[in-house]
Amino acid sequence: MSVASQDTAIRTGRITRTLIYVVLILFALFYMLPLYVMVVNSVKPLSEITGGGMMNLPREFTLDPWFKAWSSAQIGVEPTGLAPYFWNSIKMVVPAVAISTVLGALNGYVLTKWRFKYDTILFGLMLFACFIPFQIVLIPMARMLGLMGLAGTTWGLALVHVVYGIGFTTLYFRNYYAVFPTELIRAAQIDGAGFFQIFWRILLPSSGPIAVVSIIWQFTNIWNDFLFGASFAGADSQPMTVALNNLVQASHGVKEYNVHFAGAILAAMPTLLVYIVAGRYFVRGLMAGSVKG
Amino acid sequence: MGFLDIDNTTKSYGSVEVLHNVDISVEEGEFLVLVGPSGCGKSTLLNMIAGLEEITSGEIRIKDSVMNGVHPSKRNIAMVFQSYALYPNMTVGQNITFGLEMHGTPKADREIAMRDVAKLLQIEPLLDRKPGQLSGGQRQRVAMGRALVRNPDVFLFDEPLSNLDAKLRVDMRTEIKKLHQKLGTTIVYVTHDQIEAMTLSTRIAVMNGGYVQQLGTPQEIYDSPANIFVATFMGSPAMNVLPAKVRVEDGLPHAEIILHDGSATLLPFSQENLAAWEGKEILLGIRPETITDSDGADRKSKNIAQMINRIVVTEPAGSDTFVSMQLSGKDVIARMRSDAEVRPGQDFNFAVNMEKAVAFDPQTEARIQP
Ligand SMILES: Nc1ncnc2c1ncn2[C@@H]1O[C@H](COP(=O)(O)OP(=O)(O)O)[C@@H](O)[C@H]1O
Ligand SMILES: [Mg+2]
Repeated sequence: MSVASQDTAIRTGRITRTLIYVVLILFALFYMLPLYVMVVNSVKPLSEITGGGMMNLPREFTLDPWFKAWSSAQIGVEPTGLAPYFWNSIKMVVPAVAISTVLGALNGYVLTKWRFKYDTILFGLMLFACFIPFQIVLIPMARMLGLMGLAGTTWGLALVHVVYGIGFTTLYFRNYYAVFPTELIRAAQIDGAGFFQIFWRILLPSSGPIAVVSIIWQFTNIWNDFLFGASFAGADSQPMTVALNNLVQASHGVKEYNVHFAGAILAAMPTLLVYIVAGRYFVRGLMAGSVKG
Repeated sequence: MGFLDIDNTTKSYGSVEVLHNVDISVEEGEFLVLVGPSGCGKSTLLNMIAGLEEITSGEIRIKDSVMNGVHPSKRNIAMVFQSYALYPNMTVGQNITFGLEMHGTPKADREIAMRDVAKLLQIEPLLDRKPGQLSGGQRQRVAMGRALVRNPDVFLFDEPLSNLDAKLRVDMRTEIKKLHQKLGTTIVYVTHDQIEAMTLSTRIAVMNGGYVQQLGTPQEIYDSPANIFVATFMGSPAMNVLPAKVRVEDGLPHAEIILHDGSATLLPFSQENLAAWEGKEILLGIRPETITDSDGADRKSKNIAQMINRIVVTEPAGSDTFVSMQLSGKDVIARMRSDAEVRPGQDFNFAVNMEKAVAFDPQTEARIQP
């Protein structure tokens, strides 16, 4: 290749590259717009919003809407703010994510390394769980929770999410463990490790990437769920999403948009945090399963 | 009763039998190699000894106690896998002592055992590393260390060298052999590489299609192969097998073979009972190194036959020169000293050491026993 043509190649490369970046930045700005609107309006006094100019930066900066949304806004009957519901969500999400992830890992372990008759059929059925629409199970689930004495409790809600999540977590871990060398399991068996020792000492320490995938997936889904929360939660076990809805839908008095925006950001914060902290492992985990297989 | 007895053992997956009535008895301190082409059932048999695969029928005994149904960790065996199977999340030291830990050995004793093994295998500087930071040869050593530290009755190796490059493979082969001589342990070793089998073993079981084709010392397997499969599988280049007709002259059986120009020549057998095959077709087996020039012929042999045949190709390979020719319509390879003066197209006077020749029944492919 001559020097001249190489030079043009580099130059065209640079031009296309710039173009691509410009387009990407435009897209990014477009997608960030809602977040921008939420953030700027959550730190303005209400009068600034009702006076028009939603896109403007705040003339007067205030954190009052945030404090109000968190601790004193009228939700339901009491002016409690979102705080108690936030903790409801945490109490539901943490056990539900932990249990469904551990069970998914155990299922994946058994389905790949302790094969038994009809195990693929069983796995197929579990996969099926990923495709059952929420609406179909609402009434049977309500009945089951009632029979188990868990109706209207945070634990009941956590159980529902565990049951719904196992299909996904099993799928993740099964595919990840399918490419985990079986010779390692056999070596550990010869070394004298039992079923759970192999799981804890050999398999789990190598499961970081897929555990992150499972946790992010489950956390986001469970935290953001509205239907189950609205259907099964009692007045004192409602999750954040339901409370946010109540806050926004409250019919009495003026609509405090700045408080609503602040509340919505508060509700979205945990999932955002999880992505920021663990997002790069998410992609890595998804890749690990697919590339090796 | 041997040290390790594999007694009339079979293995089936569903209705498919992949191992048929395997009978092998291994003495204490023996180095038994299971060799055969891929898919012949070597790993399956090894896994049955390890307890990783169930025994469909028959019995496997170690030190006279029946192992059927006994958990792998209770058989006092250790195994080295083809992929080494080192636990990726543990250091080399932890890898080596994991088995001891699982068996409840106190920490101080584990430490001592680990130091001993690390010293023996010269992996002391690696003890704190993770397997991912080791080269192939180092991983191989660690895998052996993990097996050695348990001080098992029987060592099982499943193609342990096949992931190494050629040079390292030869080095590790020597190393394993040295280790066996030093420790005198009982070893069952699986490989598809016949050279590994010949060099390492005290006895070889040649397997094919789920059958043990022949069980014997390397010398027996090489010199007296039980059938054509064994004859051609063991040895490189493979034994030449060509059709021949048995003729009796002066009361002695001869093999009549056809030279490149279509004329027949007679090679006298040393095996006298072949006279019973007079007039019939047999398959004649001649190893490449028993066809030489006259100067290169084995001086101790009492039966060197001469034949003149045309050389088709010569392939100098450093220490030897391989010469190919046509005999009875087959390509036949001769292995000459590198200083033998040969060139393609030449009519050359070959010396054939007929003492080493073997004959096979063309129907059964079994050797016609002397
Ligand atoms: N789990 C299994 N199910 C069915 N067939 C198997 C299974 N494992 C091995 N086989 C079959 O058993 C035969 C022997 O396999 P293997 O012992 O791995 O061969 P080798 O180690 O000699 O290459 C092969 O034909 C293989 O297809
Ligand atoms: Mg194998």
